[in-house]
Amino acid sequence: MLEVFIFATLNGLVTGLLLFMLASGLTLIFSMMGVLNFAHASFYMLGAYFAYSISLHFGFWTGLIFAPIIVGVLGALVERYGLRRVHQHGHVAELVFTFGLAFLIEEAVQFFWGADTKNYQSPDLLDFPLFTLFGQEFPAYRGFMIGISITIFISLYYVLTKSRIGIIIQAALTHPHTVSNLGHNVPLIFMGVFGVGTALAGVAGVMAGPVLTTFPGMAVVLGSIVFVIVVIGGLGSLAGAFIASILIGLLQSYAIASDVGMPDLLNLLGIEFSRDHPFTDLWTLTLPQIAPILPFLLLVLVLIFRPTGLMGKREQ
Amino acid sequence: MAVIKKSLVWICYLLGLLALPQFFDSVLAISIFNQMAIAIVFALSYNMLLGQGGMLSFGHAVYFGLGGFLAVHALVMIEFEILSFSIIWIPLVGGFIGLLAALFIGTFSTHKAGTVFAMISLGIGELIAASSLIFVSFFGGEAGISGDRTFGPSFFGIEWFQNLEIYYLAVAWVFIATLFMYFFTLTPAGKMANAVRDNPERAEFIGYSARRVRYITFCAAGFFAGVAGGLFALNYEFITEENLNAATSGRVLLSAYIGGLGYFIGPIIGAVVLTLMNSLLSNYSDLWMLYLGIMFLLTVLFLPRGFAGFIMMHQMVWAQGKIKSLVLPYLLTGVPSFIFVIASVGLIELSHTDEAEFNYLGLNFDSTTAIDFILISIAVLAALFCIRKSLPQLRAAWESANEISDDDEKEAQS
Amino acid sequence: MSVLSLHDVTKNFGETEIIRGVSLNIERGEKHAIIGPNGAGKSTLFHLISGLYNVTGGSIKFKDKEIQNKKPYEISRLGLARSFQVTNIFARLNVFENVRCSLLWSSGYKYSFWHLLGRQKELNEKTLEVLEQIGLQDKKLIPAGELAYAHQRALELGIAIASGAEVIMLDEPVAGMSLTEAESAVELIHRITEGKTLIMVEHDMNIVFDVADRISVLVYGEVIACDKPENIRANTHVQEAYLGEVVTDA
Repeated sequence: MLEVFIFATLNGLVTGLLLFMLASGLTLIFSMMGVLNFAHASFYMLGAYFAYSISLHFGFWTGLIFAPIIVGVLGALVERYGLRRVHQHGHVAELVFTFGLAFLIEEAVQFFWGADTKNYQSPDLLDFPLFTLFGQEFPAYRGFMIGISITIFISLYYVLTKSRIGIIIQAALTHPHTVSNLGHNVPLIFMGVFGVGTALAGVAGVMAGPVLTTFPGMAVVLGSIVFVIVVIGGLGSLAGAFIASILIGLLQSYAIASDVGMPDLLNLLGIEFSRDHPFTDLWTLTLPQIAPILPFLLLVLVLIFRPTGLMGKREQ
Repeated sequence: MAVIKKSLVWICYLLGLLALPQFFDSVLAISIFNQMAIAIVFALSYNMLLGQGGMLSFGHAVYFGLGGFLAVHALVMIEFEILSFSIIWIPLVGGFIGLLAALFIGTFSTHKAGTVFAMISLGIGELIAASSLIFVSFFGGEAGISGDRTFGPSFFGIEWFQNLEIYYLAVAWVFIATLFMYFFTLTPAGKMANAVRDNPERAEFIGYSARRVRYITFCAAGFFAGVAGGLFALNYEFITEENLNAATSGRVLLSAYIGGLGYFIGPIIGAVVLTLMNSLLSNYSDLWMLYLGIMFLLTVLFLPRGFAGFIMMHQMVWAQGKIKSLVLPYLLTGVPSFIFVIASVGLIELSHTDEAEFNYLGLNFDSTTAIDFILISIAVLAALFCIRKSLPQLRAAWESANEISDDDEKEAQS
Repeated sequence: MSVLSLHDVTKNFGETEIIRGVSLNIERGEKHAIIGPNGAGKSTLFHLISGLYNVTGGSIKFKDKEIQNKKPYEISRLGLARSFQVTNIFARLNVFENVRCSLLWSSGYKYSFWHLLGRQKELNEKTLEVLEQIGLQDKKLIPAGELAYAHQRALELGIAIASGAEVIMLDEPVAGMSLTEAESAVELIHRITEGKTLIMVEHDMNIVFDVADRISVLVYGEVIACDKPENIRANTHVQEAYLGEVVTDA
């Protein structure tokens, strides 16, 4: 029991931090443009694929460094030549554009790499158990993921709050005109923030690729959940996104690990239904079964009762 | 006079739909027409939400799918004689379920438009699509459920074995659905939907609850999506979780957007184009979805008002009789553009092909050596160059064609 | 007889007090102007009365019914209409439809989806009448977003008065207009508010003295004077608030 709990917590943490890597970039971009970048998870996918291709010739570590850079540059270009153009047509057009972009990237990935799952390997260097608890091993690679995530967040925090460029960025996020009047190149800042945000997504992809499998559907799998997180955490709030990411990471991990379900509840109440009962699907429902839909349930509930999310600031 | 002119349009629409099988009567053609019919109703229903109501939904397939599922269940019940009514009413069954679902979901999702609405629709869509895989007895799991439309009371002797018969039934429903959706835009509810889309705040100050208006639009859209789902059930006699999911929701968004959101006829155009790409293009290339994606993105970037918008852009020029002045400029830009598209597609297909010899437009290309790639690339670049050179003259011609003549300008100022 | 009355209305945004206890009685048929320096809270007062904001304290009565904290559409249905300082029209609808929509509720159509608007003779006639009143009958098919500024302001007024509300609130109706445009606008205001109650926020003193029966002066969220125009002119507190000093009579 305890071992299940500990490992579920650790795995939930890995997932949660990964999700935050995606959610943080998305939140920064939303704060800046007021638009949810539907294609954010697509950049995550591109990160995994680029890293895979690079790793085939130059190894994992080179991929870890260069793939996010390539993704970031691509992101900046998308902002400069795509999003900026569409911006004048309104929020709906922006959302639809990023939606179309996500669609296109998925097709393009299949075009360039094929539709099969790629054998993207984690590096041999980290192919050992970090520790063994109650007979179960915790892979060093996962520990590495946690380490890198935390390092990135701490550096990001310091850059945003303590450095000069960080303060300019924060100001530009809420008062772009004023910052522009002060002589800063706001469009360049926007392009940079978009680039960094997508690069972050790319890093997440580089790390998650070996673990969550690298295939053309990987953007879709995580994409919706990242939206849920950003919305639940409160559109525009980094702290909220962090809490929501960890929350959902843990929630899903616990739900999958536990084997509890409706049958247990019904047993407790002493009720039993026959196999042929019309609602038999409902009575045999287990927690692992509904684990994938828990985030969406949470999303709908939050949006109904607290549309600004846990710590939301920016109201449309 | 205007009434006669408008009725003429509708009569032509109906006659055109009825006459189609006379010109294209192959099995494939009829199947495509049926698909178009379903797509048209679905896309029009989506536009009630987005184009007219300003509500961007990523989960509209829910109403389509639920309508379809219940329609198939109804077919099954007719087959086993639990119910007995002619299948011509099946789309209404679908519509009814779509309406019911919208009545429920609309109570908490229409408080605001904008991003919150979009996110709720996404969440609900995913929730229901995922649930459909869990509740296997109703949704049939991954395999879906199937039915048979040839049971139940016959309709004037028709037993619905043939797809052609279903086509004429679909025409009847498409015509009626289009008519009613069009009428909706001319009613107080429909006009206020537009007003709320443009300025929800002001709408409240003229006596209307923006929320209520959105709710009504939402329910109407859900109803018609359900009708489309019912048509789907009749045509395919089969439905799966795929028809409820985000991909289907995405497709209808695509078709409405490409066709043009701001015009009633836009989604019709978009539905037709998408159906053709889906059915015809997919036979020639595995990459048709890539082309769809590119086309969609280009539309969003350069033709934000869609195909319908592009056509309507010329309304004033046409009215002033200056359309002839644009023919040559369009040709000068259009021909290189056409070549650009053809060459680019050729290049993409050539890079993708598994075969050593690749047949494209009657010519044979060698995919193993570089020379053909280079040749086609040169064609692409040359075409691009011509386009860039020809754009200024197109722009100039457009501006002069759109100039209001001095007389008109004086009149406008008075 | 008082048609609109405010009792000790206060409004805070967080810690900041914007309206600090305003009491006002507007008589039926009166033309009442509200003036005051920038930031006094005039628009906020309008928003409170018309339902856009909730009050922090106090009450607002319209025709003896309490309307504070009611939704804008509820208040509008009771017969109180307003225009906006920043033009707030339905940009993608044409001029005719803008006005027709404003007539819908008061004509009893509610949320009908079975009446075809093209066939509603009385409604369409009334719409044309309003268009003629505001002088936009020749522009009725132009999308509202494409009108010249002054015409948009006229439409703004048209939307407010179309429903036949008995109390009309105009927020800086001539803002941004040239002298000639403002003159026509004032004439329009005289015409359309005949027999109705008018509450107007305005900065241009000439217009205020031309139109108003009474003037209320709002300074820092408080009404420092409410009287006939000539008395306001002579009021030393008002002079101080506007000019920073008392004017010795010239």
